[in-house]
Amino acid sequence: MHAYRDESARLDDALLALFERWHRDGAPLGDGEFNAFALRLFAYQLRYNAPYARYCEGFGVTLERLPASWHEIPALPSAAFKEAAIATCDPAKAELVFETSGTTQGIGGRHYLERALLYDAALLVAFDRFMLPDHLRLRYFNLVPDRAERPQSSLGYMMAQVCAARAERSDWYLRGDELQVERFLADLSEAVERGIPVCIAATAFALVHLLDALAARDLFVALPTGSRIMETGGFKGRSRVVERDELYAALCERFGMPRDAIVAEYGMTELTSQYYDDVLVSALPDTGVRYKVAPPWLRARVVGPNGATLPNGTVGALVHVDLANRSSCLAIQTEDLGVQFERGLVLIGREAGAQLRGCSLDAEDLTAR
Amino acid sequence: MTALEGIPARRIIHAIADAAARFADADFPPRVRLLDRIVERTGYTIPVVEYALDQLFFSITAPALERTIVSELGSLDALDRFVDRGGGETEGFARPIGSVAIVSSRTTIGVAIVPAVFALCAKCDVLVKDREDGLVSAFFTALTAELDAAGSAARAHAWEGEGDAVDLARFDAVVAFGGDATLARIRERVAARAPFITYGSKASLGYIGRDALEDESQARILAGDAARDLVLYDSEGCLSLHALFVESGAAISPARFAELFAGAVERAAIEFPPGARDARANARIATARNLAAFRAATGQGSVFSDEQASFLAVLDPPASEPPAFLPRTLAIRAIDAPDEATAYVRRHQLPVEALAIAGSRDEIVNMALDMGAHRLTAFGRLQRPPLSNTHGGRSRIADFVRWVTRDR
Repeated sequence: MHAYRDESARLDDALLALFERWHRDGAPLGDGEFNAFALRLFAYQLRYNAPYARYCEGFGVTLERLPASWHEIPALPSAAFKEAAIATCDPAKAELVFETSGTTQGIGGRHYLERALLYDAALLVAFDRFMLPDHLRLRYFNLVPDRAERPQSSLGYMMAQVCAARAERSDWYLRGDELQVERFLADLSEAVERGIPVCIAATAFALVHLLDALAARDLFVALPTGSRIMETGGFKGRSRVVERDELYAALCERFGMPRDAIVAEYGMTELTSQYYDDVLVSALPDTGVRYKVAPPWLRARVVGPNGATLPNGTVGALVHVDLANRSSCLAIQTEDLGVQFERGLVLIGREAGAQLRGCSLDAEDLTAR
Repeated sequence: MTALEGIPARRIIHAIADAAARFADADFPPRVRLLDRIVERTGYTIPVVEYALDQLFFSITAPALERTIVSELGSLDALDRFVDRGGGETEGFARPIGSVAIVSSRTTIGVAIVPAVFALCAKCDVLVKDREDGLVSAFFTALTAELDAAGSAARAHAWEGEGDAVDLARFDAVVAFGGDATLARIRERVAARAPFITYGSKASLGYIGRDALEDESQARILAGDAARDLVLYDSEGCLSLHALFVESGAAISPARFAELFAGAVERAAIEFPPGARDARANARIATARNLAAFRAATGQGSVFSDEQASFLAVLDPPASEPPAFLPRTLAIRAIDAPDEATAYVRRHQLPVEALAIAGSRDEIVNMALDMGAHRLTAFGRLQRPPLSNTHGGRSRIADFVRWVTRDR
């Protein structure tokens, strides 16, 4: 037990130092350093995360037969978090427990994080880098689950931490599934009148409803300079889906803001760290393609069906290797598709699971095509 | 008046059979020319496409057409004139319903041809929404070579979108293949008076009773047959094997059968190599494989696959999981009795098209009836429905005729 505690503490210290170093000078993590850290963390997880170790054994990977590269670390499907406690620690002792929102089958998973400090530090330094490169203190309008209402939501927790540390002021406008439009508009008007730049943090679905509400009132609100929108979460499980380009164009029109003031965050409950669009930090021209960047301790592998990393520019499934997932599993396999480029990761998007099909497979849609 | 009304049914049937016979010849130039286009459209490999074309066209013979028509209408002559239909009290004449539109599906091969053939036998005018490869058009061209009037009666062309979409409201019957949402949209465009004949999404299943698992050699044959039912059309057909139930308690356990099955799938892939898959399907299969591997590592079930995830067989996934509906992917569920299979089907509200059965107990047949299956068959024949069978429980020709009766 002492060995676990000591080893965990050493890893946490190393991670916190890494976060701090990057926050301070933005220095990238070299391939060798990332590899060494990943393999060290992997060996630790094989020792203390029994379900993951048994899974890896099935791939012939054990403490005695460790891979040579982080690319070869067996990735655990995110759905495995619904099957077992994926944790190096006693789940009852985890300081944070986040729950996935479930799937079409309605079964949620849990991500146990032994130390909140690690999660908080990882999210804040990345948020600072990718959402607040200008260090502005913004007023936050959160259209995401309120931590007080849904403590198991990682997104709610994330925004609560950001607001506590970085906000000029913040409030929450989602109660259950209800968007509190009138209160939102009143508060937003006040911020606009006072010229306070704002950050609207919202799921894509909530943004669509917000736009509907603005349209119903024929309302256009020119946000103060420096304002931004953090869009997250996509449309998973929702019946109404709007193309992202269409959504962003409507937001720009309604809020009188440039397109590059909208930043999409991409995260998963099973990850500690997040990806962001590079629009606020990249000096490269806007090509219309959204490139995702991440802090240096989070890397994506685009893989084929055999799990091997595909060359840049090739579409494949995403495996995320998040060194900040110290107390769970560092390599997470998803069904999300993406393409890796030099500039960053491009998401191809998420879609619903496979459907019942038959001789009518993909039958012609007369009206929609 | 339709284009074929003045032509005897037998003449039409023989013309259709002759055209099909031409297409059944793998060297028939129009068929050869179509092959690559069908491969390109569907993503299936050439052996799979060749098999599909053989299955389709070899089945369309004059005797098979005549048998089917007689079984449904009572008489072939009923298509040409009044015939006795009521023990001497009534005569009936099966007149064409009129014009029929057939909206086929995107990835199947020639699925529209069978209803088109029966609509033509009923002397209807037929328009088929063809696919990019032009298979139906090519078949109709061959048919016209056999029967001039077919040139007017049988038309096929591709159309897209609402701009140049055919006005379905002017047809006397519409046949459509599709999912619920698609069919609902099409239904809105069909005239209220016109029959709307739908073939919605369906699943097919397999059930192996313990009496069929008493020796290894029998189990190997069964595994080979079930493997073929899985791999053909990469599990994308309504007649593909989507879930398999295996009874416990026999000499060959479900786990052993799963091993045999996995080996058989690999061998079946030699005859029918996997088709092209997109990254999305690859990602889903790989994820499903690894999740099954995780479950196996934690003591739940087993997984059989290969490095490329070209197939996936999972023994005993949770009952809460519906069939994966992924290429060459199958869940094998060990059960003790048929009611467990029925419960699974009900839980997931699976619309069952066909059930492959090994085992002779009455309760297995009763289970199939309870599930609502439209067809019972043997393993290895799941994807080879006889022409005379119903499809989706629907008759082949009866929907395309309008009976006129005359009292005697």
